[in-house]
Amino acid sequence: MTVKKKCSANMVLYELRNLNGNLLPHFFGIIFPNVMSLLLSRTVGSQVPEPQRGEVVTSMMLSMSLVMPMSIMFLGYGCLYATEVEKEIPLRMRLFGYSRGCEVRAKIAAHLILLTIAFVVFAVFHAAVMHVQKPAAASLLGLVISLYAMGVIFLVIAHSIASILRKFSLTFGVIFFLYFVIMLLTGMFGIRTEQLPGPLQAAAKLLPMTYISNDFAGFWQGGSYNFMPFLQAFLFMGAAAGILLLLTPRKKGSGVA
Amino acid sequence: MIGSNGAGKSTLIKALLGLIPYEGRISTDVKPEQMAVHMQFNHYASTMAVKYIMEALLNASIKKDKKLRELIDFFDFGQCLNKRFDVLSGGQKQKFTIIMVMYQEAELTFYDEVTSGLDFENRQRLMDKLTEWYRDKRDTLVVVSHYYEELEHLVDKLLILDEGRVVAYGSRQELFETYCGKVVYILDNNPKNREIASGFSAIKAPGHLIALSCRSLEAEQKLVSSLVEAGANFKRSNSDIEIMYINAKEKFYGRA
Repeated sequence: MTVKKKCSANMVLYELRNLNGNLLPHFFGIIFPNVMSLLLSRTVGSQVPEPQRGEVVTSMMLSMSLVMPMSIMFLGYGCLYATEVEKEIPLRMRLFGYSRGCEVRAKIAAHLILLTIAFVVFAVFHAAVMHVQKPAAASLLGLVISLYAMGVIFLVIAHSIASILRKFSLTFGVIFFLYFVIMLLTGMFGIRTEQLPGPLQAAAKLLPMTYISNDFAGFWQGGSYNFMPFLQAFLFMGAAAGILLLLTPRKKGSGVA
Repeated sequence: MIGSNGAGKSTLIKALLGLIPYEGRISTDVKPEQMAVHMQFNHYASTMAVKYIMEALLNASIKKDKKLRELIDFFDFGQCLNKRFDVLSGGQKQKFTIIMVMYQEAELTFYDEVTSGLDFENRQRLMDKLTEWYRDKRDTLVVVSHYYEELEHLVDKLLILDEGRVVAYGSRQELFETYCGKVVYILDNNPKNREIASGFSAIKAPGHLIALSCRSLEAEQKLVSSLVEAGANFKRSNSDIEIMYINAKEKFYGRA
C-alpha cells in the first residue's frame, strides 16, 4: 500500500471512464425513458380526449423520469460495482492508496454527472417533442431534488447488495428483479397503484416513487399537496438503504463496501 | 519466501499489509503505507484503456512524469497503453502491475508469484528485468515463488513456510550449509547411480534425483573421483533451493 492519496478530479474522471465503458446505464437511463415516454404518449395518450391529453402525457413523463435514477444509480451502478467486487478491484484501489470513502465519493460524483446528463436530455426531449404541461417552478424543483435524492439512496442500496453478495451474477439477478418489481409497483408499467392487490398496494406506499408517479401530476402546475406520506416513504427507503449498508462486510481486507 | 500451496505465504503478506485480521505480533518500523505489493491475482477495470487506469491509480500523467515513462519504456509497455486490461496477454498484465508497483518506490515491496502462468522464456525475461531494475537500489523485496531456480540468482535470505509455520529462516548460504552441507552432487535416480551413491552421504531429493552431500573438501574430492571413474553424469551445486527446501522440511518434521 502506498501513501494515502487524496480524492482528486483524476479519480472522478477515472470513474466517468469506467461508467462509460458499460452501456447499460446509458441505454436504460437515457434512451429507454425517452423512447418509452414517446411510445406511451403516442399509444395511450392518443386515446385520451384532447383537453386531458396534456395532463396524461405529463403524468407519463413523471413516471418515466423515475427510470433515470433507477437505471443509472441502481441497475447501472450495481452491475458495475458487482463486477469490480468480484474481481477484487476495490482491494487494488486500497493497495494503491485510495481509501474506500474516496472511491465511493468518486463513483457517486461520476454517476451524478451521468444522471444530470440524462435529466438534461430528458428535459430537452420532452420540451421539444412531447406536449408536457409547463410546470410551476416549485414543482419542477421538488421533482429534480427528489430524483437526485432517490438516486443517491438507490446507489447506496446497489452498493450494499453488491458488497454483501460479492458475485456479479447474483447481484445482477437481485437488482434486476427489484428494478422490475419497483417499476410494477410504482405505476411505471402503466398499472396504477389502486389497480394492484391490497398487499402490493401497501408495499407500493412504502416507496416514494409511487407518489411521484401517481400524485405529482396533480400539482405539477401549482396547487397544494400533502407531502407527509411521500416524505415518510423517503425516510423508509433511506432507512432501508442505511440498514443494508450496515450489513456490508467491514472487516479489514474485505476489499468491499 | 517459499513453501507449498497453503503454506501461508500470501496470508503472511496480507497480514503484513494489514489487510486481514491475525493473531500474534508483527514488529516492524515499516508501516503498511510504506509497502507496495504485486498480489498473486491482479485485476483491473476492463472498461477503459490501461493508460487511464495507470494515471488514476498513480495520480500521475504519463506524458509529464519522467519516472513513469522510464518504467514504461524499460518494460516495453508503450504499445499496450491503449489496450484494455482484458485483452492484454498474461505477461503484459504482469508488467502492467509491476510498473505501477515499482513506481511507488516503497521501502518494502512484495512480489507474490509474479511469474506464475508465464512460459519459461517470458518468466526468465521478467525476472531479468526485475533484477536489473533493482540492482543498485536499496529497497527490500520479498519474492514469493515456486520456481526455485529463478530465486537462486535473486535472493539473499530465505523464509521457508509450511502449513502456517516457519520451517527455516536465514541467509541462503547459511541455510544451504545447515541442511545440505558445503556442496551437493545431483545425479539421475537410476540403478547404476544408486550403486555409485551407496557409499556416500545421500540426502533427500525429488524422486527422480539422487543428492549426495559433501561437508568437507576431502569428502567432495573422494566423491568426484568415484563419479568420474564410473563415468556418471552429475551436477554440482552449492545453492540448490529445491533440495535445501526438501531437507529443511524433513528436519523440521523430525524425519531426517
